Amino acid sequence: MLEIDQLEVAWKGVTLNYDFTVDVGEILTIQGRSGVGKTTLLNVIAGFEQAAKGDVRWQGESLLPLKVTQRPVSMLFQEHNLFEHLSVWQNLQFGLVGDDIEQRIRQAAAVLEVSDQLDKSPLKLSGGQRQRIAILRTLLRPEPIVLLDEPFAELDSTTRLIANDWVRETAKAGNKTVLLITHQNEDVERVGDRNLMLN
Amino acid sequence: MTQLFGKFSLALLLSMTALAFYGLMGFSASKGNSGADWSLLHDSYFWSILGFSLKQAGLSAILSVVLAWPIARALYYSPWLPFRSGFLSLCLLCFIMPTLVLITGLVVLLGRSGLLVSGWVEGWNLYGLHGILIAHVFLNMPFAVRVLYQQMNNIPDTSWKLAGQLKFTPLQRLRWVEWASLKATFLRLFGFIAVLCFNSFAVVLALGGGPQATTLEVAVFQALKYDFNIPEALALAWIQFAITGLLYVMVSRWGSVNWLSAETSVRQWLPKPSALVSVFNAVLYTLVWCILLMPLLALIPGIAEMNWQKFNWQSVLLPTLTTLVVGVMSASIALVVAYGVLIPLRQSAIRGQHKLQLLHEWLGMHTLLAPAMVLSVGLYVYFLPRIDLDAWGMLFVVLLNAAVIVPFAAQHLRPRLLQFDQQYYRLADSLKLTGWARLKVELPWLKGTLLFSFSLVLLFAMGDVAIFSIFGDEDWMTLPWLIYRFAGTYRMAEASLASAILLLICAIIVLYFERSRRHAGN
Repeated sequence: MLEIDQLEVAWKGVTLNYDFTVDVGEILTIQGRSGVGKTTLLNVIAGFEQAAKGDVRWQGESLLPLKVTQRPVSMLFQEHNLFEHLSVWQNLQFGLVGDDIEQRIRQAAAVLEVSDQLDKSPLKLSGGQRQRIAILRTLLRPEPIVLLDEPFAELDSTTRLIANDWVRETAKAGNKTVLLITHQNEDVERVGDRNLMLN
Repeated sequence: MTQLFGKFSLALLLSMTALAFYGLMGFSASKGNSGADWSLLHDSYFWSILGFSLKQAGLSAILSVVLAWPIARALYYSPWLPFRSGFLSLCLLCFIMPTLVLITGLVVLLGRSGLLVSGWVEGWNLYGLHGILIAHVFLNMPFAVRVLYQQMNNIPDTSWKLAGQLKFTPLQRLRWVEWASLKATFLRLFGFIAVLCFNSFAVVLALGGGPQATTLEVAVFQALKYDFNIPEALALAWIQFAITGLLYVMVSRWGSVNWLSAETSVRQWLPKPSALVSVFNAVLYTLVWCILLMPLLALIPGIAEMNWQKFNWQSVLLPTLTTLVVGVMSASIALVVAYGVLIPLRQSAIRGQHKLQLLHEWLGMHTLLAPAMVLSVGLYVYFLPRIDLDAWGMLFVVLLNAAVIVPFAAQHLRPRLLQFDQQYYRLADSLKLTGWARLKVELPWLKGTLLFSFSLVLLFAMGDVAIFSIFGDEDWMTLPWLIYRFAGTYRMAEASLASAILLLICAIIVLYFERSRRHAGN
C-alpha cells in the first residue's frame, strides 16, 4: 500500500496538505484546479521535492529518506521525457530490463501506433508520438509505483482512447500502483479505479 | 563516485594554486623574510607599474570596443558583403592565435626597419605604450566585432518592423533599437577585454620594457627572473590576484560575454542603409580585412629571405611536434578537469543554492586570476628541492597549461551541462542513471561542445610562453618559445617561418572549430 500520511509541503509560500492511501494495483486519478499542488505531490513521492512534515510510505517503509534513484517509482513528466540527442530506440534502453523486453516494446509500440517511430530522433516526432513513447517506457519499467503527470494531454481523441486502454491493461497486468493526473473526466472514467479531487 | 570525481578535480586545481603560493611564501620565510614585501607599496616604481597596467588595459579595451562597433554595424547592415563567414573566422583566429605570431608580424611591419615605416616615418618606435596598444587592439578588436555582431543579430525583426512602421529616423533607430540592445554588451565587453589586457604577458614582455611600460605580470616575471626577489614577486602577485579578482567579480556581475556563436541567422527584415552608408560599409570592411591580414601576410617576405640550403628543418619540426603533443595533452586534461569542477557547481544549481554555485564557479575559475607566472614559479620553487625538475619539467608544462586553460574549457561546457540538467536531470534521475550510465547519456549531448572546447583550449595551450619560460626544457622547445628565441636574436626570417607554421596549425584548428560549432548548432 502507498500511504501519504499527513504530508505537508511548502510550495511558493503556500503549505500544501495531503493525506490518503492507494492500494497495491490500484489506479488513482487525481484532479484539481491549476496550482493546487498535483504535480508537487508526484514530485514529493518521486523525491524531486522535499516534504516539510508527514511521511510517504510504500509497503510500510518510508520513501522520504531514499534518494530519487533508490525509490521504487517510475514517473512520466509533463515535458522532457526523452533525451532529444539520442534516438527513440536508445531512449527506450533506459530503465527497461528483462530478456523479452524488446518483444514487449515492439508489441506495445504496435498497440500505441508508434512502431514506425522507433529508429527516429525524438526531434522528428510529433508531440503526441513522443508522449506515447514516454508512456510506453514508463509503464514497462519494473518499478511498482507509476506516476503519470498529464500523460494524455497531447493526444488526439482517437489515440487518447487507445492509450487509455493500454495504460489500464498494462498497469493491471503488472499489478502497478498508479497515480495519474488528468483534467479530463473521460480519463478518470476509462482508466481510473478511484478519483481524488484536490482542493 | 561522480561527486567524488568532482571534489577531486576541484581539490586538484586548488592544491596547485595553494602549493604555488605556499612555495613562494615558504621560500621567502627560509630566507629570513616573513613573506610578501609590502614596503613595495611605498615605492613609486610600484605605483608606476600599477598605473601603467590599468592605463594600458583601459585604453586597449576602449579602443577595441569603439573601433569594433562600426565594423560590426557594417557586417550587420550590409549582409550582401562577400566572405563574411571567412571574415568572422579570421576574427576568431586573430583573437586566439599565439601572441608571438602577431608580434613577429608587427615587428616585420612596424619595427625599426619595418615594411610600413622604414624610410618615411621619422623617429618611429614600436616599443612602448603605443606598440602594446596596437597589439592589444589587433588581438581584441576582432573579438569585440564578433560579440557586437552577434548581439545585433539578437535584435528581433519585430523591433525593426515596429521602428519602420513608426517612421523612426536613422538616429532614432540608433538610439531606441540599436543602442538599447548593445549598451549592456559594451560594458561587459569593456570589462572582459580590460581583464585580458591587465593580465597580458607576452605582448608587454615583447613590446614593453622599463618602468614606463611594464605591467604587474611582467614585473612579477622580472622580479623572479632577473632579481630572484621572491618577497617582491609575492607582493606583486597578491596585488595582481586581488585586482584581477575584483575586476572579474565586476565583469561577472555584468554578465558573460557570448562570442562563439557569431553565425549569421536568416533575417526576414532589416532597415536598408543609404547608398552612402553602404559604400562606407564596403570600404571599411575591405580595409579591416587588409589590416587584419597584414601582420599575418607580413610573415611571407621574412620567409622569402630564408637561406633554405643552410636551414635545418629538424630545428622547426621537433618544436612543432612538441607543441602539438603538449597542447593535446594539456587540452585533454583540462577538459576532464573542467567537467569535474563543474559537477559541484551543477549540483548547487540543481538544488537552487545560488551562493554555493557562485562559490564553486569562482573556485573553478580561479586559475584565470592567478598569474600563470606566479603559479609556475611558486610550484617551481616548491618542487625544486623535492623533484628532479630537469627530468620532469615538461610534465609540469603540460599540467600547468592544463590548469590555466581549465576556466576556458569550463566556461564553454557549463551552459551546455546546465541546459542538460535543466531539461533532463529529473528524467535521468527518474531512470536511475548514475555514474557511467549517466556519462553515456551526457557525452552525446556534449559531443559538439566538447569538440570545439577542445579546439579552443588546444589553441590557448599551444600559445603558451609564460609556463614554458620557467619549466621548459631547451631540448623540448615549443614553437612559441622558438619564435621568442629567434626574435630575441634578430633572426627574423626563422622567426617568420616558425610563426607561419604555428599560424597555419592554428588556422586549421580554427576552421575545424568553426565547422564543429556549426554542426553542434551552437
